[in-house]
Parts: sequence; structure tokens; C-alpha cells
Amino acid sequence: MLQEIQAMPAGLAARPHLLRLGRLVSETVLLKVGDIEHYLVFDKGALAEIVPGPSKKIPYRVALVTDREALEKFWQPIPEPGFHDIFGLVKIGRAEILGDILFLVKNLRFFKELLALPREGRA
Amino acid sequence: MSIEPIIGRYLTVEVAGRAQRIYFEEAGQGRPVLCLHTAGAHTGQWRHLMNDAEVTGANRLIAFDMPWHSKSLPPEGFQTEEYLLTTDAYIETILAVMDGLGLEKPVLAGCSMGGRIALQLAALHPERFAGFIAIEASDFQPAWYDIDWFHRPDAHGGEMGAALVSANISPYAPEAERWNTLWMFMQSGPGVFRGDLSFYTRDGSLIQRLGQIDTGKTPVHIIAGAYDLTCTPEDAKRTADAIPGATLAIMDELGHFPMSEHPQGFRPYFLDALSRMS
Repeated sequence: MLQEIQAMPAGLAARPHLLRLGRLVSETVLLKVGDIEHYLVFDKGALAEIVPGPSKKIPYRVALVTDREALEKFWQPIPEPGFHDIFGLVKIGRAEILGDILFLVKNLRFFKELLALPREGRA
Repeated sequence: MSIEPIIGRYLTVEVAGRAQRIYFEEAGQGRPVLCLHTAGAHTGQWRHLMNDAEVTGANRLIAFDMPWHSKSLPPEGFQTEEYLLTTDAYIETILAVMDGLGLEKPVLAGCSMGGRIALQLAALHPERFAGFIAIEASDFQPAWYDIDWFHRPDAHGGEMGAALVSANISPYAPEAERWNTLWMFMQSGPGVFRGDLSFYTRDGSLIQRLGQIDTGKTPVHIIAGAYDLTCTPEDAKRTADAIPGATLAIMDELGHFPMSEHPQGFRPYFLDALSRMS
């Protein structure tokens, strides 16, 4: 498991505004980085658990599939154009969104800020 | 305490046979520059340039909220209507505002859908304008998303819209202005962003008109930000290449809402654009 992702539950717990934004999120989300699968299990906005993959059995609501280098560029304090947003990664062909994209869009600010948390540690 | 020089008023004009009460703001004196906001937002996007003495010293900046946006209420009977902006209605609204305000040959500066319609006007009504500054403007952008996401009973279209368009804001943008920019999208009335996107993502009629724009009579300057995922620099270049004589500037550190998200970064590009309009 990537250490940046391992640190996400604590980062989320330390940000009350994010917990408030995600209060209706009680779902499992897959974050796949290269061959490494992370199943992020949310309970009312909190990251209750991150289950390491690989797994063919864990259902997820939505997935972001990307690669290590793209994510590293995404986490830079000033990312390059295209690497500055998850939809940018998709547009430049460095990520895919699978599953229920409308669920992601309904909670988009929550997920965008959560996924960008490691950026703060590099500023 | 401070009071800004921007003055806001209302005018009522007829568009498509219906009265539209339209809010407009202005600041400065001299050559009129009519400013158009993006989809799902309002006049507030121009707040910094309208407070910039170097801009307003020789230019009278005028911006208005499109009907259904911010202080421009929807027309009577809106409650049973579906708002879908069209090229024809957009053009008629702009020309009606110009007539109502008595604007003679203004420079037209529009961003995003405002830039798109500026190019439409450059093709269809160039005699009414002194020149065109088309910001984050391109010939056509089909949607990769579903515009219906932004008008549904089980979610807040404005918040979803803001989260979507945040993808188009540069990481160089000051945090306060990033969030001011996003707030305008959060304020958008139900279905309004969707209705604007209907125009922006479904009407490709500009493509075949680009070649008829005569930049010898009215200059066209296109500006695009490198962090704009919606109208990329490649989209802007393709569009500029299709307009003989059009000029193009790429802003390496800006996104889709440059005048609002990063006013200090944008002002040299806007001043340069204004200088090309004379």
C-alpha cells in the first residue's frame, strides 16, 4: 500500500469540513495504482478501513485507475497541466474512472480534496 | 472601509418578444468594452478588471448578467420552462443590451461560452463591434460529461458544477480567488448551468463560420490558459488557425476563468488584448 494512501484516514479525520462534505458517503471506492489495489471503505465520510487488494470479490461503487508516476505528478504542489485534477488525468489518458461516475460527481469535491491531501505534505 | 468604483443598475429589454430585466455593471470611461461571463456564473467574474485603474482609465467596462443568472431574474413564466440557451437567443440578448445602453461599436470580451458567442458575432455581426477578445474560446467543445448531471432533484447542481469546473482552475490561482470563482458556480440557479452547457456543448454552428470572419475589419484575439481542460490551448490554436489574421496568446499559468481565478496573472494578457483592438 502506498504510504500517501495509508495516511489518508488520518488526514481526512483531521479535516472536519471534509467529513461534513462526505457525510452521505458510506461506500467502497477502489483506488488502483498500477497493479496495487486499495479498497477505501467509507462510513459516513470517514475512511473506516483501507483493504489491500488484489481482490476479485470486493464490490466497489466507483474506481479510479491510474499509475504511480501520474499520481506522483498529481501530488506535486504545482502539478503540470493535465496532472492537476483527476479529470485531467483522465483527459490525458493517465487515469480511468470505472463504475458509478454519477456517484463520484455527486460527491466530487469530497473525493477531489481527499485524493489531493498528499499534495499538502509536499508544499 | 472602501467603496469600489463599480456601479450596478438594471435595464429592461425585449428578447424574443419577452421582457428581460437585466442587471449590468460598469466602471471606467472611454472606449466601451462589453464583457461576457462564462456559463453558470455571472458578472462578478469581471470584478478585478473593473477595479483596475490601468484598465478603466481609457476603457469603459460594462458587464451584464445573462437572463436567469444572478441578479437578472428569469422571464415571467419561467417556472414551467426548461432553460436552454441557444446561439440565436444569446446573440439577440447581447445586441438588445447594446441597443438599450446605446453602446456604439464596443470591443466585445467574452470568456468560455462568452468567447464562443464573441466569435459567432465576429462572423455574423462584425459591423456592430470594434474588435473581439475571445478568452478560453474555441470552435466547439462536445461534452465528455452528461449535462443532465447538473440539474437533478437529488443533488445540488451548483455544487456539482463547481466541483467539475474546479478541474479548469490553475494551481497558480490564489486560493481566495479560486474559491470566489467556484462560489459563483455554486450560486447558479437550478438548471442554469445545464442550459448554458446545452449551447456550449451541442451547437457546432461556429465551425463553418470561422472562415468568414474578416479580421482586417475587426480584430480577433484569442487567449487560452494552459490549465484549461475544457478549452485547451490546442483547441484555441485550432480555432485561431481557422480565422485568417486572428492572433493567439497562451497563458502558461492560468486556467479557464483567468480574469476571476488569477486577476494579477491575467491583467497583462488583457491589457495586451485591448491594445490590439485599436
